[in-house]
Amino acid sequence: MSLHIVVCVKQVPVSNNLKIDPITKNMMRSSEPGIMNPFDQNALEAALKLKERFDAKVTLLSMGPKNFEITLRQGLAMGADDAILLSSRGFGGADTLATGYVLSQAIKAIQNVNLVFFGRQSIDADTGQVGPIVAELLGWPQVTYISQINSIDEKSIEAVRLMEHMQQSIKVKLPAVFTVRSELNVPRYPSPRSIMLSYQKEIKVWDEHSFELDLNRIGIQGSPTVVRKVWNPTKVDKETELLGEDPESAARKLLQVLRARDII
Amino acid sequence: MKKVDCMTHKNIWIVAEHHQDIIQPVTKQLITKANQIKDDKKVTVILFQTKEQKLEQQLLNYGPDEIITVCDDRLKEAPDSLIADLLSQLNHKFQPNSILFGATVIGRSISARLQAKLLTGLTADCLDLKFEENLLIQIKPSYGDNIMCEIVCPNNYPQMATVRPNVFMATEIQNKETKVVIMNDMNFKEDKRITVYEEIPLLSKSDSIANADRVIALGRGMSGEEHINKASRLATKLGAKIGVTRPLTDLPSFSVDDQIGQSGSSIAPKLLITLGVHGAVQFTTGITKSKYIVAINNNPKAPIFDIADYGFVGDAKSFVEALLKLIQ
Repeated sequence: MSLHIVVCVKQVPVSNNLKIDPITKNMMRSSEPGIMNPFDQNALEAALKLKERFDAKVTLLSMGPKNFEITLRQGLAMGADDAILLSSRGFGGADTLATGYVLSQAIKAIQNVNLVFFGRQSIDADTGQVGPIVAELLGWPQVTYISQINSIDEKSIEAVRLMEHMQQSIKVKLPAVFTVRSELNVPRYPSPRSIMLSYQKEIKVWDEHSFELDLNRIGIQGSPTVVRKVWNPTKVDKETELLGEDPESAARKLLQVLRARDII
Repeated sequence: MKKVDCMTHKNIWIVAEHHQDIIQPVTKQLITKANQIKDDKKVTVILFQTKEQKLEQQLLNYGPDEIITVCDDRLKEAPDSLIADLLSQLNHKFQPNSILFGATVIGRSISARLQAKLLTGLTADCLDLKFEENLLIQIKPSYGDNIMCEIVCPNNYPQMATVRPNVFMATEIQNKETKVVIMNDMNFKEDKRITVYEEIPLLSKSDSIANADRVIALGRGMSGEEHINKASRLATKLGAKIGVTRPLTDLPSFSVDDQIGQSGSSIAPKLLITLGVHGAVQFTTGITKSKYIVAINNNPKAPIFDIADYGFVGDAKSFVEALLKLIQ
Protein backbone atom coordinates (compact mmCIF):
# COMPACT_ATOMS: atom_id res chain seq x y z
CA MET A 1 0.00 0.00 0.00
CA SER A 2 1.23 3.47 -0.71
CA LEU A 3 0.15 6.85 0.58
CA HIS A 4 -1.32 9.56 -1.56
CA ILE A 5 -0.90 12.95 0.09
CA VAL A 6 -2.59 16.12 -1.14
CA VAL A 7 -1.11 19.44 -0.01
CA CYS A 8 -3.43 22.43 -0.46
CA VAL A 9 -1.51 25.62 -1.13
CA LYS A 10 -2.40 29.24 -1.68
CA GLN A 11 -0.44 31.97 -3.34
CA VAL A 12 -0.22 35.16 -1.29
CA PRO A 13 1.07 38.61 -2.19
CA VAL A 14 4.68 39.43 -1.40
CA SER A 15 3.75 42.79 0.02
CA ASN A 16 0.72 44.08 1.82
CA ASN A 17 0.31 47.15 -0.38
CA LEU A 18 -2.56 45.92 -2.41
CA LYS A 19 -5.36 47.30 -4.40
CA ILE A 20 -9.03 46.64 -3.99
CA ASP A 21 -11.40 46.45 -6.91
CA PRO A 22 -13.80 49.34 -6.23
CA ILE A 23 -16.77 47.44 -7.67
CA THR A 24 -16.36 43.79 -6.72
CA LYS A 25 -14.41 44.72 -3.56
CA ASN A 26 -12.16 41.75 -4.23
CA MET A 27 -8.42 41.93 -4.00
CA MET A 28 -6.82 42.75 -7.34
CA ARG A 29 -4.24 40.01 -7.21
CA SER A 30 -3.06 39.98 -10.79
CA SER A 31 -0.86 43.07 -10.50
CA GLU A 32 1.28 41.39 -7.83
CA PRO A 33 3.80 38.61 -8.03
CA GLY A 34 3.10 36.01 -5.39
CA ILE A 35 4.78 33.52 -3.12
CA MET A 36 3.57 30.27 -1.60
CA ASN A 37 1.85 31.03 1.70
CA PRO A 38 4.59 30.39 4.32
CA PHE A 39 2.47 28.00 6.44
CA ASP A 40 1.68 26.01 3.28
CA GLN A 41 5.43 25.57 2.80
CA ASN A 42 5.44 23.86 6.22
CA ALA A 43 2.52 21.71 5.06
CA LEU A 44 4.40 20.67 1.93
CA GLU A 45 7.56 19.99 3.93
CA ALA A 46 5.56 17.68 6.22
CA ALA A 47 4.31 15.76 3.19
CA LEU A 48 7.79 15.55 1.66
CA LYS A 49 9.21 14.20 4.94
CA LEU A 50 6.62 11.41 4.79
CA LYS A 51 7.55 10.74 1.19
CA GLU A 52 11.16 10.17 2.28
CA ARG A 53 10.03 7.40 4.65
CA PHE A 54 7.11 5.82 2.84
CA ASP A 55 6.09 4.93 -0.64
CA ALA A 56 4.10 8.12 -1.12
CA LYS A 57 2.90 10.42 -3.83
CA VAL A 58 2.53 14.13 -3.13
CA THR A 59 0.02 16.14 -5.13
CA LEU A 60 -0.23 19.90 -4.86
CA LEU A 61 -3.70 21.40 -5.09
CA SER A 62 -4.53 25.07 -5.39
CA MET A 63 -7.48 27.20 -6.46
CA GLY A 64 -6.79 30.55 -8.05
CA PRO A 65 -5.88 32.46 -11.18
CA LYS A 66 -3.36 31.17 -13.72
CA ASN A 67 -0.43 32.99 -12.13
CA PHE A 68 -0.76 30.67 -9.11
CA GLU A 69 1.41 28.42 -11.29
CA ILE A 70 4.40 30.28 -9.80
CA THR A 71 3.59 28.74 -6.44
CA LEU A 72 2.84 25.30 -7.83
CA ARG A 73 6.13 25.35 -9.74
CA GLN A 74 7.91 26.22 -6.51
CA GLY A 75 6.18 23.28 -4.80
CA LEU A 76 7.16 20.91 -7.61
CA ALA A 77 10.74 22.13 -7.29
CA MET A 78 10.63 21.39 -3.55
CA GLY A 79 9.74 17.81 -4.44
CA ALA A 80 6.01 17.37 -5.03
CA ASP A 81 5.15 14.82 -7.73
CA ASP A 82 2.38 16.66 -9.50
CA ALA A 83 0.18 19.71 -9.27
CA ILE A 84 -3.41 20.59 -10.02
CA LEU A 85 -4.57 24.18 -10.40
CA LEU A 86 -8.31 24.76 -10.08
CA SER A 87 -8.70 27.80 -12.23
CA SER A 88 -11.72 29.36 -13.84
CA ARG A 89 -13.68 32.59 -13.71
CA GLY A 90 -16.47 30.57 -12.17
CA PHE A 91 -14.35 29.92 -9.07
CA GLY A 92 -13.65 33.66 -8.55
CA GLY A 93 -14.99 35.63 -5.59
CA ALA A 94 -15.24 32.51 -3.44
CA ASP A 95 -15.32 32.81 0.34
CA THR A 96 -14.03 30.05 2.61
CA LEU A 97 -17.13 27.87 2.20
CA ALA A 98 -17.11 27.91 -1.61
CA THR A 99 -13.32 27.42 -1.62
CA GLY A 100 -13.58 24.47 0.78
CA TYR A 101 -16.33 22.94 -1.32
CA VAL A 102 -14.35 23.11 -4.56
CA LEU A 103 -11.19 21.74 -2.91
CA SER A 104 -13.10 18.87 -1.28
CA GLN A 105 -14.72 17.91 -4.59
CA ALA A 106 -11.34 18.01 -6.31
CA ILE A 107 -9.87 15.74 -3.61
CA LYS A 108 -12.74 13.32 -4.22
CA ALA A 109 -11.98 13.46 -7.95
CA ILE A 110 -8.27 12.80 -7.39
CA GLN A 111 -9.35 9.57 -5.62
CA ASN A 112 -7.65 7.32 -3.07
CA VAL A 113 -6.22 10.23 -1.09
CA ASN A 114 -5.08 9.25 2.41
CA LEU A 115 -3.92 12.55 3.85
CA VAL A 116 -4.55 16.21 3.19
CA PHE A 117 -2.20 18.85 4.57
CA PHE A 118 -2.96 22.57 4.85
CA GLY A 119 -1.00 25.43 6.40
CA ARG A 120 -2.68 26.61 9.62
CA GLN A 121 -3.88 29.76 7.85
CA SER A 122 -2.97 32.01 4.94
CA ILE A 123 -1.10 35.18 5.81
CA ASP A 124 -3.39 37.37 3.70
CA ALA A 125 -6.91 36.42 4.74
CA ASP A 126 -5.73 34.81 8.01
CA THR A 127 -8.86 32.69 8.48
CA GLY A 128 -7.60 29.12 8.94
CA GLN A 129 -11.10 27.93 8.03
CA VAL A 130 -10.60 26.07 4.78
CA GLY A 131 -8.85 23.02 6.29
CA PRO A 132 -11.69 22.19 8.74
CA ILE A 133 -14.32 22.90 6.05
CA VAL A 134 -12.66 20.41 3.70
CA ALA A 135 -12.41 17.84 6.52
CA GLU A 136 -16.11 18.20 7.27
CA LEU A 137 -17.16 18.03 3.62
CA LEU A 138 -15.06 14.90 3.11
CA GLY A 139 -16.42 13.45 6.37
CA TRP A 140 -12.88 12.92 7.65
CA PRO A 141 -11.40 13.64 11.07
CA GLN A 142 -9.24 16.76 11.42
CA VAL A 143 -6.21 17.60 13.49
CA THR A 144 -5.52 21.34 13.28
CA TYR A 145 -2.48 23.41 14.32
CA ILE A 146 -0.10 20.46 14.58
CA SER A 147 3.43 21.18 15.82
CA GLN A 148 4.82 17.67 15.86
CA ILE A 149 4.24 14.31 14.20
CA ASN A 150 5.09 11.56 16.67
CA SER A 151 4.49 8.45 14.67
CA ILE A 152 2.93 7.31 11.46
CA ASP A 153 2.11 4.08 9.77
CA GLU A 154 -0.06 3.52 6.75
CA LYS A 155 -3.22 3.45 8.80
CA SER A 156 -2.84 6.18 11.40
CA ILE A 157 -0.88 9.20 12.61
CA GLU A 158 -0.09 10.45 16.09
CA ALA A 159 0.42 14.19 16.20
CA VAL A 160 0.70 17.02 18.70
CA ARG A 161 -1.75 19.88 18.38
CA LEU A 162 -0.39 23.08 19.89
CA MET A 163 -3.03 25.40 21.35
CA GLU A 164 -2.83 28.60 23.41
CA HIS A 165 -2.86 26.95 26.82
CA MET A 166 -2.11 23.32 26.18
CA GLN A 167 -0.96 20.72 23.77
CA GLN A 168 -3.00 17.70 22.86
CA SER A 169 -1.60 14.39 21.67
CA ILE A 170 -3.99 12.98 19.12
CA LYS A 171 -4.15 9.68 17.32
CA VAL A 172 -6.15 9.66 14.12
CA LYS A 173 -6.96 7.00 11.56
CA LEU A 174 -6.42 7.81 7.90
CA PRO A 175 -7.82 9.34 5.80
CA ALA A 176 -7.60 12.62 7.70
CA VAL A 177 -6.99 16.35 7.28
CA PHE A 178 -4.14 18.15 9.06
CA THR A 179 -3.35 21.85 9.34
CA VAL A 180 0.23 22.58 10.32
CA ARG A 181 2.03 25.24 12.32
CA SER A 182 5.45 26.65 11.46
CA GLU A 183 6.83 24.90 14.58
CA LEU A 184 6.45 21.56 12.79
CA ASN A 185 9.48 21.89 10.48
CA VAL A 186 11.72 24.12 8.40
CA PRO A 187 10.71 24.05 4.73
CA ARG A 188 13.48 23.02 2.36
CA TYR A 189 14.90 25.17 -0.41
CA PRO A 190 14.72 23.67 -3.88
CA SER A 191 18.11 22.91 -5.40
CA PRO A 192 18.92 24.41 -8.82
CA ARG A 193 18.65 20.90 -10.27
CA SER A 194 15.22 20.30 -8.76
CA ILE A 195 14.05 23.68 -10.03
CA MET A 196 15.16 22.64 -13.51
CA LEU A 197 13.47 19.25 -13.21
CA SER A 198 10.25 20.86 -12.01
CA TYR A 199 9.76 22.29 -15.48
CA GLN A 200 9.44 18.75 -16.82
CA LYS A 201 6.50 18.15 -14.50
CA GLU A 202 3.08 19.06 -15.71
CA ILE A 203 0.67 21.39 -13.94
CA LYS A 204 -2.84 20.19 -14.66
CA VAL A 205 -5.47 22.90 -14.91
CA TRP A 206 -9.03 21.95 -13.98
CA ASP A 207 -12.07 24.16 -14.42
CA GLU A 208 -15.61 23.68 -13.13
CA HIS A 209 -16.33 21.12 -15.83
CA SER A 210 -13.32 18.92 -15.15
CA PHE A 211 -14.81 17.27 -12.06
CA GLU A 212 -18.14 16.88 -10.35
CA LEU A 213 -19.44 20.16 -8.87
CA ASP A 214 -22.74 21.71 -7.92
CA LEU A 215 -22.33 25.01 -9.77
CA ASN A 216 -24.53 26.78 -7.22
CA ARG A 217 -21.94 26.09 -4.56
CA ILE A 218 -18.91 27.63 -6.29
CA GLY A 219 -17.64 31.17 -6.73
CA ILE A 220 -19.71 34.15 -5.68
CA GLN A 221 -23.05 32.33 -5.77
CA GLY A 222 -21.69 29.63 -3.45
CA SER A 223 -20.37 32.18 -0.94
CA PRO A 224 -22.72 33.13 1.91
CA THR A 225 -20.59 36.07 3.03
CA VAL A 226 -20.49 39.46 1.33
CA VAL A 227 -17.83 42.12 1.77
CA ARG A 228 -19.89 45.26 2.21
CA LYS A 229 -17.19 47.80 2.80
CA VAL A 230 -13.40 48.01 2.76
CA TRP A 231 -11.27 50.77 4.21
CA ASN A 232 -7.90 51.57 5.69
CA PRO A 233 -7.78 51.67 9.48
CA THR A 234 -7.33 55.14 10.95
CA LYS A 235 -5.79 56.15 14.21
CA VAL A 236 -6.46 58.85 16.75
CA ASP A 237 -3.39 60.80 17.77
CA LYS A 238 -2.55 61.25 21.44
CA GLU A 239 -0.57 64.01 23.17
CA THR A 240 2.78 62.45 23.94
CA GLU A 241 4.68 63.75 26.95
CA LEU A 242 8.37 63.64 26.19
CA LEU A 243 10.43 62.20 29.01
CA GLY A 244 13.71 64.01 28.48
CA GLU A 245 16.77 64.56 26.36
CA ASP A 246 19.14 61.88 27.55
CA PRO A 247 18.51 58.23 28.50
CA GLU A 248 19.33 58.67 32.21
CA SER A 249 16.96 61.57 32.87
CA ALA A 250 14.25 60.00 30.68
CA ALA A 251 14.51 56.72 32.58
CA ARG A 252 14.37 58.56 35.91
CA LYS A 253 11.34 60.58 34.81
CA LEU A 254 9.55 57.46 33.60
CA LEU A 255 9.98 55.64 36.90
CA GLN A 256 8.71 58.71 38.73
CA VAL A 257 5.60 58.92 36.54
CA LEU A 258 4.85 55.20 36.74
CA ARG A 259 5.20 55.20 40.52
CA ALA A 260 2.95 58.23 40.82
CA ARG A 261 0.29 56.47 38.82
CA ASP A 262 0.70 53.32 40.89
CA ILE A 263 1.65 51.28 37.84
CA ILE A 264 4.84 49.89 39.31
CA MET B 1 -32.54 41.26 2.45
CA LYS B 2 -34.66 38.84 4.38
CA LYS B 3 -33.09 39.75 7.68
CA VAL B 4 -35.11 42.91 8.19
CA ASP B 5 -38.26 42.54 10.32
CA CYS B 6 -37.77 38.86 10.84
CA MET B 7 -39.34 37.65 14.08
CA THR B 8 -37.42 34.42 14.52
CA HIS B 9 -33.67 34.03 14.89
CA LYS B 10 -33.48 36.25 17.94
CA ASN B 11 -30.67 34.63 19.91
CA ILE B 12 -27.02 35.55 19.91
CA TRP B 13 -25.06 32.47 20.90
CA ILE B 14 -21.62 32.52 22.43
CA VAL B 15 -19.79 29.22 22.57
CA ALA B 16 -17.96 29.20 25.90
CA GLU B 17 -14.33 28.26 26.01
CA HIS B 18 -12.73 26.95 29.17
CA HIS B 19 -9.41 25.55 30.17
CA GLN B 20 -8.65 23.71 33.41
CA ASP B 21 -12.05 24.63 34.87
CA ILE B 22 -11.64 28.34 34.12
CA ILE B 23 -13.92 30.15 31.69
CA GLN B 24 -11.61 32.02 29.30
CA PRO B 25 -11.61 35.85 29.22
CA VAL B 26 -12.75 35.95 25.58
CA THR B 27 -16.04 34.27 26.52
CA LYS B 28 -16.76 36.91 29.18
CA GLN B 29 -15.72 39.68 26.77
CA LEU B 30 -18.16 38.34 24.19
CA ILE B 31 -21.04 38.25 26.70
CA THR B 32 -20.50 41.91 27.59
CA LYS B 33 -20.23 42.92 23.94
CA ALA B 34 -23.31 40.92 22.93
CA ASN B 35 -25.29 42.53 25.76
CA GLN B 36 -24.31 45.96 24.45
CA ILE B 37 -25.41 45.30 20.86
CA LYS B 38 -28.28 42.85 21.31
CA ASP B 39 -31.23 45.28 21.04
CA ASP B 40 -34.32 42.99 21.20
CA LYS B 41 -32.27 39.81 21.01
CA LYS B 42 -31.27 37.39 23.76
CA VAL B 43 -27.70 36.53 24.72
CA THR B 44 -27.22 32.81 25.21
CA VAL B 45 -24.02 31.05 26.24
CA ILE B 46 -23.54 27.50 25.00
CA LEU B 47 -21.49 25.59 27.54
CA PHE B 48 -20.12 22.10 27.02
CA GLN B 49 -18.75 20.61 30.24
CA THR B 50 -18.35 17.43 32.23
CA LYS B 51 -20.88 16.56 34.94
CA GLU B 52 -18.70 17.82 37.80
CA GLN B 53 -17.62 21.14 36.32
CA LYS B 54 -20.53 23.54 37.08
CA LEU B 55 -18.82 26.28 35.07
CA GLU B 56 -22.07 28.23 34.61
CA GLN B 57 -21.29 29.78 38.02
CA GLN B 58 -18.40 31.70 36.43
CA LEU B 59 -20.65 33.10 33.71
CA LEU B 60 -23.56 34.41 35.80
CA ASN B 61 -21.79 37.63 36.87
CA TYR B 62 -21.46 38.72 33.26
CA GLY B 63 -25.20 38.64 32.76
CA PRO B 64 -26.12 36.44 29.80
CA ASP B 65 -29.89 36.03 29.43
CA GLU B 66 -29.55 32.30 29.17
CA ILE B 67 -27.06 29.47 29.47
CA ILE B 68 -27.66 26.27 27.53
CA THR B 69 -25.39 23.60 28.88
CA VAL B 70 -24.60 20.04 27.91
CA CYS B 71 -23.04 18.16 30.86
CA ASP B 72 -21.48 14.87 29.88
CA ASP B 73 -18.20 13.19 30.66
CA ARG B 74 -17.72 12.30 27.02
CA LEU B 75 -16.98 16.02 26.50
CA LYS B 76 -13.63 15.62 28.20
CA GLU B 77 -10.97 15.70 25.47
CA ALA B 78 -13.67 15.70 22.80
CA PRO B 79 -12.49 16.07 19.20
CA ASP B 80 -13.61 19.11 17.16
CA SER B 81 -15.99 17.01 15.10
CA LEU B 82 -18.02 15.93 18.16
CA ILE B 83 -18.46 19.51 19.44
CA ALA B 84 -19.36 20.73 15.94
CA ASP B 85 -21.94 17.97 15.66
CA LEU B 86 -23.52 18.84 19.03
CA LEU B 87 -23.63 22.50 18.06
CA SER B 88 -25.30 21.55 14.81
CA GLN B 89 -27.99 19.65 16.73
CA LEU B 90 -28.55 22.60 19.06
CA ASN B 91 -28.71 24.97 16.10
CA HIS B 92 -31.45 22.93 14.44
CA LYS B 93 -33.42 22.85 17.65
CA PHE B 94 -33.16 26.54 18.62
CA GLN B 95 -32.41 28.39 15.33
CA PRO B 96 -30.16 31.15 16.70
CA ASN B 97 -29.50 34.40 14.91
CA SER B 98 -25.75 34.17 15.28
CA ILE B 99 -23.01 32.05 16.82
CA LEU B 100 -19.87 33.69 18.17
CA PHE B 101 -16.58 32.00 19.09
CA GLY B 102 -13.25 33.24 20.39
CA ALA B 103 -10.69 33.41 17.56
CA THR B 104 -8.58 30.78 19.31
CA VAL B 105 -7.23 27.47 18.03
CA ILE B 106 -10.27 25.59 19.27
CA GLY B 107 -12.76 28.33 18.29
CA ARG B 108 -11.38 28.57 14.76
CA SER B 109 -11.27 24.80 14.32
CA ILE B 110 -14.77 24.01 15.58
CA SER B 111 -16.52 27.00 14.00
CA ALA B 112 -15.23 26.21 10.51
CA ARG B 113 -16.27 22.58 10.82
CA LEU B 114 -19.72 23.73 11.97
CA GLN B 115 -19.91 26.23 9.11
CA ALA B 116 -19.48 23.41 6.61
CA LYS B 117 -22.26 21.42 8.33
CA LEU B 118 -24.66 24.36 8.31
CA LEU B 119 -23.57 25.78 4.92
CA THR B 120 -23.53 29.33 6.22
CA GLY B 121 -21.04 32.20 6.47
CA LEU B 122 -18.23 32.45 9.00
CA THR B 123 -16.08 35.55 9.42
CA ALA B 124 -12.68 35.03 11.02
CA ASP B 125 -10.96 37.15 13.59
CA CYS B 126 -13.46 39.99 14.01
CA LEU B 127 -12.43 43.17 15.80
CA ASP B 128 -15.94 44.60 16.14
CA LEU B 129 -19.56 43.54 15.80
CA LYS B 130 -22.86 45.37 15.53
CA PHE B 131 -26.39 44.69 14.39
CA GLU B 132 -28.65 46.27 11.81
CA GLU B 133 -31.97 44.66 12.75
CA ASN B 134 -31.17 40.96 12.53
CA LEU B 135 -28.15 41.41 10.29
CA LEU B 136 -24.81 40.98 12.02
CA ILE B 137 -22.19 43.42 10.78
CA GLN B 138 -18.75 41.88 11.21
CA ILE B 139 -15.65 44.02 11.09
CA LYS B 140 -12.39 42.22 10.46
CA PRO B 141 -8.87 43.02 9.31
CA SER B 142 -7.35 41.56 6.19
CA TYR B 143 -4.02 41.53 4.43
CA GLY B 144 -1.86 41.89 7.51
CA ASP B 145 -4.14 44.55 8.97
CA ASN B 146 -3.65 46.94 6.08
CA ILE B 147 -7.32 46.84 5.32
CA MET B 148 -10.46 46.61 7.40
CA CYS B 149 -13.53 44.88 5.94
CA GLU B 150 -17.16 44.95 6.86
CA ILE B 151 -18.61 41.52 6.19
CA VAL B 152 -22.22 40.37 6.29
CA CYS B 153 -24.00 37.10 5.66
CA PRO B 154 -27.30 38.37 4.27
CA ASN B 155 -29.14 35.19 3.26
CA ASN B 156 -28.19 32.51 5.76
CA TYR B 157 -28.61 31.73 9.42
CA PRO B 158 -26.85 31.37 11.74
CA GLN B 159 -24.41 34.22 11.12
CA MET B 160 -21.11 32.99 12.48
CA ALA B 161 -17.96 34.80 13.55
CA THR B 162 -14.79 34.23 15.53
CA VAL B 163 -13.72 37.26 17.54
CA ARG B 164 -10.21 38.08 18.56
CA PRO B 165 -9.58 37.91 22.33
CA ASN B 166 -9.12 41.22 24.17
CA VAL B 167 -10.78 43.54 21.68
CA PHE B 168 -13.71 43.99 24.09
CA MET B 169 -13.68 44.63 27.82
CA ALA B 170 -15.65 42.21 30.02
CA THR B 171 -17.82 43.91 32.66
CA GLU B 172 -19.62 42.29 35.56
CA ILE B 173 -23.33 43.05 36.04
CA GLN B 174 -25.17 42.89 39.34
CA ASN B 175 -28.52 41.13 39.90
CA LYS B 176 -29.33 39.91 36.47
CA GLU B 177 -31.54 36.87 36.03
CA THR B 178 -30.02 34.14 33.92
CA LYS B 179 -32.02 31.13 32.83
CA VAL B 180 -29.99 27.91 32.88
CA VAL B 181 -31.16 25.18 30.52
CA ILE B 182 -29.62 21.71 30.84
CA MET B 183 -29.77 19.61 27.68
CA ASN B 184 -30.15 15.90 28.34
CA ASP B 185 -31.27 14.56 25.00
CA MET B 186 -28.20 15.10 22.87
CA ASN B 187 -27.07 12.45 20.43
CA PHE B 188 -23.38 11.76 20.96
CA LYS B 189 -21.94 10.59 17.66
CA GLU B 190 -18.56 9.52 18.92
CA ASP B 191 -15.95 9.22 16.21
CA LYS B 192 -13.77 6.18 16.83
CA ARG B 193 -11.31 7.35 14.19
CA ILE B 194 -9.86 10.09 16.39
CA THR B 195 -8.67 9.99 20.01
CA VAL B 196 -7.20 12.74 22.13
CA TYR B 197 -5.04 10.63 24.40
CA GLU B 198 -3.14 13.26 26.31
CA GLU B 199 -3.49 16.94 27.24
CA ILE B 200 -0.59 18.85 28.71
CA PRO B 201 -1.26 22.38 30.03
CA LEU B 202 1.24 25.00 28.84
CA LEU B 203 2.12 28.39 30.10
CA SER B 204 2.24 29.64 26.56
CA LYS B 205 3.74 32.97 25.68
CA SER B 206 0.79 34.23 23.67
CA ASP B 207 -1.47 33.60 26.61
CA SER B 208 0.77 35.54 28.89
CA ILE B 209 1.12 38.55 26.55
CA ALA B 210 -2.62 38.73 25.92
CA ASN B 211 -3.45 38.65 29.61
CA ALA B 212 -0.38 40.43 31.01
CA ASP B 213 -0.63 43.67 32.99
CA ARG B 214 2.77 44.84 31.77
CA VAL B 215 4.23 44.24 28.36
CA ILE B 216 7.51 45.23 26.73
CA ALA B 217 7.27 45.22 22.95
CA LEU B 218 10.40 44.90 20.83
CA GLY B 219 10.68 46.16 17.27
CA ARG B 220 13.37 46.03 14.62
CA GLY B 221 15.41 48.58 16.59
CA MET B 222 15.88 45.98 19.36
CA SER B 223 16.42 42.84 17.30
CA GLY B 224 20.09 42.23 18.22
CA GLU B 225 20.84 39.42 20.63
CA GLU B 226 22.37 41.74 23.23
CA HIS B 227 19.36 44.05 22.94
CA ILE B 228 16.95 41.18 23.50
CA ASN B 229 18.90 40.01 26.57
CA LYS B 230 18.80 43.50 28.08
CA ALA B 231 15.08 43.79 27.38
CA SER B 232 14.50 40.38 28.98
CA ARG B 233 16.28 41.53 32.13
CA LEU B 234 14.14 44.63 32.22
CA ALA B 235 11.02 42.54 31.71
CA THR B 236 11.96 40.32 34.65
CA LYS B 237 12.52 43.33 36.89
CA LEU B 238 9.23 44.95 35.91
CA GLY B 239 7.26 41.70 35.96
CA ALA B 240 6.48 42.26 32.28
CA LYS B 241 6.04 39.88 29.36
CA ILE B 242 7.85 40.37 26.06
CA GLY B 243 6.04 40.70 22.75
CA VAL B 244 7.42 41.52 19.31
CA THR B 245 6.53 43.04 15.95
CA ARG B 246 6.16 40.79 12.91
CA PRO B 247 9.77 40.98 11.59
CA LEU B 248 11.14 39.69 14.93
CA THR B 249 9.08 36.51 14.70
CA ASP B 250 11.73 35.28 12.23
CA LEU B 251 14.35 35.27 15.00
CA PRO B 252 14.99 31.96 16.77
CA SER B 253 13.90 33.39 20.15
CA PHE B 254 10.41 34.32 18.95
CA SER B 255 7.50 32.93 17.00
CA VAL B 256 4.14 34.06 15.69
CA ASP B 257 2.79 33.41 19.18
CA ASP B 258 4.83 36.31 20.50
CA GLN B 259 3.60 38.72 17.85
CA ILE B 260 1.52 41.73 18.82
CA GLY B 261 -0.80 43.26 16.25
CA GLN B 262 -3.29 42.45 13.60
CA SER B 263 -2.10 39.00 12.64
CA GLY B 264 -0.81 38.30 16.14
CA SER B 265 -2.25 38.95 19.58
CA SER B 266 -4.17 41.97 20.78
CA ILE B 267 -2.99 43.02 24.19
CA ALA B 268 -4.60 45.06 26.97
CA PRO B 269 -1.91 45.77 29.59
CA LYS B 270 -1.86 48.60 32.14
CA LEU B 271 1.63 49.45 30.94
CA LEU B 272 3.16 48.92 27.52
CA ILE B 273 6.75 49.97 26.83
CA THR B 274 7.67 49.80 23.15
CA LEU B 275 11.38 49.65 22.36
CA GLY B 276 12.55 50.37 18.83
CA VAL B 277 9.03 49.89 17.49
CA HIS B 278 8.21 52.12 14.54
CA GLY B 279 4.46 51.77 14.98
CA ALA B 280 3.00 50.55 11.69
CA VAL B 281 -0.76 50.30 11.78
CA GLN B 282 -0.54 46.49 11.67
CA PHE B 283 1.13 46.67 15.05
CA THR B 284 -0.80 49.52 16.65
CA THR B 285 -4.24 47.97 16.08
CA GLY B 286 -3.15 45.30 18.56
CA ILE B 287 -2.27 47.73 21.35
CA THR B 288 -5.17 50.20 21.42
CA LYS B 289 -6.55 48.74 24.66
CA SER B 290 -3.31 49.46 26.54
CA LYS B 291 -3.74 51.95 29.39
CA TYR B 292 -0.35 53.67 29.29
CA ILE B 293 1.93 53.46 26.30
CA VAL B 294 5.59 54.45 26.60
CA ALA B 295 7.42 54.71 23.27
CA ILE B 296 11.18 54.69 22.82
CA ASN B 297 12.42 55.22 19.29
CA ASN B 298 15.27 57.15 17.70
CA ASN B 299 13.07 58.53 14.96
CA PRO B 300 10.98 61.46 16.25
CA LYS B 301 8.65 61.03 13.26
CA ALA B 302 7.88 57.36 14.03
CA PRO B 303 4.10 56.90 14.12
CA ILE B 304 4.33 55.11 17.47
CA PHE B 305 4.64 58.60 19.05
CA ASP B 306 1.16 59.45 17.75
CA ILE B 307 -0.40 57.03 20.18
CA ALA B 308 2.11 57.07 23.05
CA ASP B 309 1.40 58.68 26.40
CA TYR B 310 5.11 59.06 27.13
CA GLY B 311 7.97 59.17 24.73
CA PHE B 312 11.73 59.25 24.55
CA VAL B 313 13.44 60.05 21.29
CA GLY B 314 16.77 58.27 21.35
CA ASP B 315 18.56 54.97 21.48
CA ALA B 316 16.36 52.24 22.95
CA LYS B 317 19.27 50.16 24.22
CA SER B 318 20.80 53.08 26.17
CA PHE B 319 17.39 53.81 27.64
CA VAL B 320 16.99 50.20 28.78
CA GLU B 321 20.49 50.27 30.30
CA ALA B 322 19.63 53.47 32.18
CA LEU B 323 16.38 51.98 33.47
CA LEU B 324 18.13 48.78 34.57
CA LYS B 325 20.67 50.81 36.52
CA LEU B 326 17.95 52.80 38.29
CA ILE B 327 15.88 49.78 39.23
CA GLN B 328 18.87 47.90 40.68
